[in-house]
Amino acid sequence: MTNTAQLQAVSVSRAFGGIKALDDVSLELRPGEVHGLIGPNGSGKTTLLNLLCGFYQPSSGVIHLGEQDLSQASVQMRAVNGIARTFQKPRLMPMLSVLDNCMLGAWIHADAGFMSTALALPHVGAQELDIQARAIELLHGVGLGHVMQRQASLLDHAEQRFLEIARGLAMQPRFMLLDEPAGGLTHQEIDHLADVVRTLRDNGIGVLLVEHHTDFVFRICDRVTTLNTGKMICHGTSEQVRNDPEVIRVYLGA
Amino acid sequence: MLTVLITGLATGMLFAAVALVYNVMYSTSKVLSVTTGHISMLGGVFGAYAISVLQLHWTLGLLAAVVAGGAFGALTELLAIRRVLNRSDEHLWLLSTLALATMVQQAAGLWWGTEPKPFPRLIPQDFGVGVMDQKFWLPIGMTLLMAIGLELFYKRTMYGKVFMAMSEDAFAAQARGISTDRIRLMSYVLSGALGGLAGFAAGQLTFAFFALGLTLTLNGFIALAVGGLGSNVGAILGGAALGLLNAYASYWFGGEYQQTIAVGLLMIVLLVKPEGLLGDRQVRPV
Amino acid sequence: MNSLTHTHKAWLLLGGLLIATLPGWAGDQYQLHLASLIAVYWILIAGLNMVVGFTGQLSIGHVGLLCIGSYAFAVLAGKSGWHPALALAASGVLGGVCGLALGLPSLRLPGFYFAMATMAFALIVNDLVLAQVDLTGGGIGLPGPLFPAPFDSPSGFYYLVSLLALGVTWLSWNLGRHMWGRALISIRDNPVAAQSVGVAVFRAKLTVFVFSGVTAGLAGAVFASLQSYITPDTFVFELSLFFFVCIIIGGRGSIIGPFIGTVVLTALPELVAPLAKLGNFFYGLLLLVVVLVVPEGIGRVFDIIRERLRPRVVHREPISPDLARLDRALKYKP
Repeated sequence: MTNTAQLQAVSVSRAFGGIKALDDVSLELRPGEVHGLIGPNGSGKTTLLNLLCGFYQPSSGVIHLGEQDLSQASVQMRAVNGIARTFQKPRLMPMLSVLDNCMLGAWIHADAGFMSTALALPHVGAQELDIQARAIELLHGVGLGHVMQRQASLLDHAEQRFLEIARGLAMQPRFMLLDEPAGGLTHQEIDHLADVVRTLRDNGIGVLLVEHHTDFVFRICDRVTTLNTGKMICHGTSEQVRNDPEVIRVYLGA
Repeated sequence: MLTVLITGLATGMLFAAVALVYNVMYSTSKVLSVTTGHISMLGGVFGAYAISVLQLHWTLGLLAAVVAGGAFGALTELLAIRRVLNRSDEHLWLLSTLALATMVQQAAGLWWGTEPKPFPRLIPQDFGVGVMDQKFWLPIGMTLLMAIGLELFYKRTMYGKVFMAMSEDAFAAQARGISTDRIRLMSYVLSGALGGLAGFAAGQLTFAFFALGLTLTLNGFIALAVGGLGSNVGAILGGAALGLLNAYASYWFGGEYQQTIAVGLLMIVLLVKPEGLLGDRQVRPV
Repeated sequence: MNSLTHTHKAWLLLGGLLIATLPGWAGDQYQLHLASLIAVYWILIAGLNMVVGFTGQLSIGHVGLLCIGSYAFAVLAGKSGWHPALALAASGVLGGVCGLALGLPSLRLPGFYFAMATMAFALIVNDLVLAQVDLTGGGIGLPGPLFPAPFDSPSGFYYLVSLLALGVTWLSWNLGRHMWGRALISIRDNPVAAQSVGVAVFRAKLTVFVFSGVTAGLAGAVFASLQSYITPDTFVFELSLFFFVCIIIGGRGSIIGPFIGTVVLTALPELVAPLAKLGNFFYGLLLLVVVLVVPEGIGRVFDIIRERLRPRVVHREPISPDLARLDRALKYKP
C-alpha cells in the first residue's frame, strides 16, 4: 500500500516577539519527491522546517499530514508519525558508537517495555538483533560501514552528517527533512549525498531539502520553494524556479 | 503575633539577600552556584570569630565578613566556574559548585565546630526589647540597602552597565573588547562580599553555624525562583513571601513542616508561573 | 551495546568468585560488615546510576528514599511484625511510590531547579521522620530487624545482600545494553535529538526515576537491618553526595565504573585512617578534582593512558554509499 499522504504547511505564519519570521507561507511535501527550500539568510527556511517538525507551533495556519492536523503535535509525536529530520549542526551522542547512534533512530519501533528490557525477556534480544541488522545495512548504505564501531565524537563533519541521515532512516520515516546537509561537504561527498537522496525518493520518502548550495538543489530537486524575508516568492519545478526573475534578483544573482 | 511577623520578614530578607547574590552571579555566568548560601554562612562565622574570639571592634568584624565572602566568591569563580564553562556538558558547574560547597562546609565544621554559636551584639541593646531587636532590623535594613545599592550600581556606574551587557549577550560583550573572565570574577567577588555582609547582618538571627550554607542555598533559591530569576525586586518579594510563610507555618503547625511548606510554595509557583512572579519567559533553544 | 569480550568474561568470573567466597577470606567480622555495606550501597547506586549516569538527571536527594525504605522496613518488620521478606518488598514498593511522587513535579524542571528539588526532598524526609515521633521514634530512632535464618548471621546476611545487589546489577545491565540504554543516554546528551527520534522524554525520565526509587527502598530495608539501629542522623544529606560521587567518579554510562567507585569510596576511609577524619571534605575534593580534570570519570584516565601507550591510528576512508544495500534496507518492512 503506497502512502500518498502529503505533509503540508497551509498558510502558516510565525512571529517571534515583534518579528514575523514567516508570513502566510504554504508548502506541500509529497511522498516520493525531493522538494527544495531555498532563500537568503533570514528568509525563514529553518523556521519553516522547525514548524513542520514541531519545534515551534504556527502563530496562524495549520500543519497537515494527510487528513491529520498536526499543528499542535509535539516533536515526539511527529517522529511517531513518520517525520524525521537532520540538524544544521549534527546532534549525535558523542560517547556512543556510530552503530549505536544509528540504532537510536529505531526507538519508535522498539516496543520492548522497561521491565521487559530489564528482565532481558527473549523478544527483547530478538528485537535488538533485528534493529542492529537493519542499522548495519543502513550504515553501509550511506557509506559509513567502515566506521561502525567508532565513537561518534571521533567522526569528521561529513561522517556526522551522513550518520544523522542514517539515524533518521532507522525511524522508517515517510518524510525526511534535511537542514542544510551539504554544508561543509566536498564535491565528492555532495555527489554521494545526491545519490543517497535520490535513493530515498525512489523508495517513496518525501525529502525536504533546506539548502544554500543552489546547484545541488536544482540538480536533484523535483520542486523548489523560494522564501524571502518570511514570504514565499516562488514555487514550482526546478526549471521554473531557477529561471524566475524574482528569484534571480533576490537570491541567485545575475 | 508581631514577633512572628517580624521574624518572618527578617529571615525572609536574609533569603532575599541570597537571592540577590544568585542574581549577580547568574547575570555574568549564567550559572546558579550551590556555594551561594555558604558565602553568607562564612560571613556569619568569620564575623563571629573576629568579634567574639579575636575581640575586635564590630567594624573589623564586618570587614572580616565582607572579605571572607568576597574571597570565597572569587574562589568559586576561579575553581568551580571558569574552567568548567568551556566544556560542552552543561551541568558540570552544578557538580563543581556542589563539590566546593561541601568542602567549605566541612572545613568550616572542622574549624569552627559543629554547634551553632551565638553571634555577638553589634549595637548595645537589651535582650528583652522584643520586636525592636536589632537581630530583626539588621538583616531587613541590610538587604534593602543591598538591593538599592545594586540598582544604583547597574544604572549609574560603568561596571554595572558592563555587567548588564554581559548578562544580555556575553559573546557580543566579548566582541566589544570586554574581558568576560575578569568581569565575571569581579561579579563573583562583589556578590560574595554582599553575601558575606548579609550573613554578618543576620548573624544574631541565625547564629554562627557551619551547616547554614545548605539551607540558605536552598531557601535563597526558593526565594529566587518564586520572585523570578534575574529580578532583584522579585528576589525581595520572593524572600518576603517565603520568610513570612515559614514563620506563620511554624507558628500554626510547628517547626517540623517548615521545609515542606517552603518547597510547597515553590512547586505551586513553578506550576502556575514557571518563570517566577517577575521573571522573563525563556526562549526555547533550537 | 558492548557485548562482553573474553577478557571481560574472565575478569567477571574472577570477581564473581572473589565475591562469592568473601566470607571465607575476609579478615574479620568488620571486613565482612564492610563488604555487606558496599553491597547495600550498590543496590541503591545501581538504580541511581540509571538516573544520573545514563539519563543525566542530577538527583542529590536519594538519601531521602533510602531513609524511607529503612524506616518502612523497621516499622513493618519490627513494630508491625511483618515477615521481613514481605517488609523488604513493601519497602521497595514504597520507595518506588515516593520516587513517583518526587519525580512527577520535579523532572520537568531544568537542571539546578531539579537538583534543589531533590535536595529539598531529602531535607523534608528528615524533618518528617523527626516529627512523626509515634511512628518513627523521632530522634531516638528504631531498631533494625534481622532477617530469619539462614540470613541472620553476618555471612548469611552478606549472601542475601549480595544476591540482591547481583539482581539489581543484572537489571540495570540489561537496560543499559538495549534500546532503553540508548534512549536514556540520548536524553542525557542531547534531549533535542532524543525528542526528534521519538523518545518520550518526560515519561522515560519518570520511569527510570521510579526504578531508582524501588532500588533505594530495597537498599534502605537491608541497610536498616545491617546497621541494626537507625536514627534520623543516619541519613544525612552528605550520604546523597557520596552516592553521587561514586557514580561520577566511576564514569557515566557504565555499570562497572560506578561499581568500582562504590567499592573504592566505601572502603577507602576505612582503610586509610586520616581520610576518615576528613570524611565528607574528601568526597567533595574528589568530586571537584574529577569534574575539573576527568569529567568522564576515572575510567577515562585508563583510556587516556592506553592511548598514550598504544596510539590508535584512525584510518580516514572516504564515504562511499552502497546504494543497492541502502535500497534493500529501505524496502525491508519488518
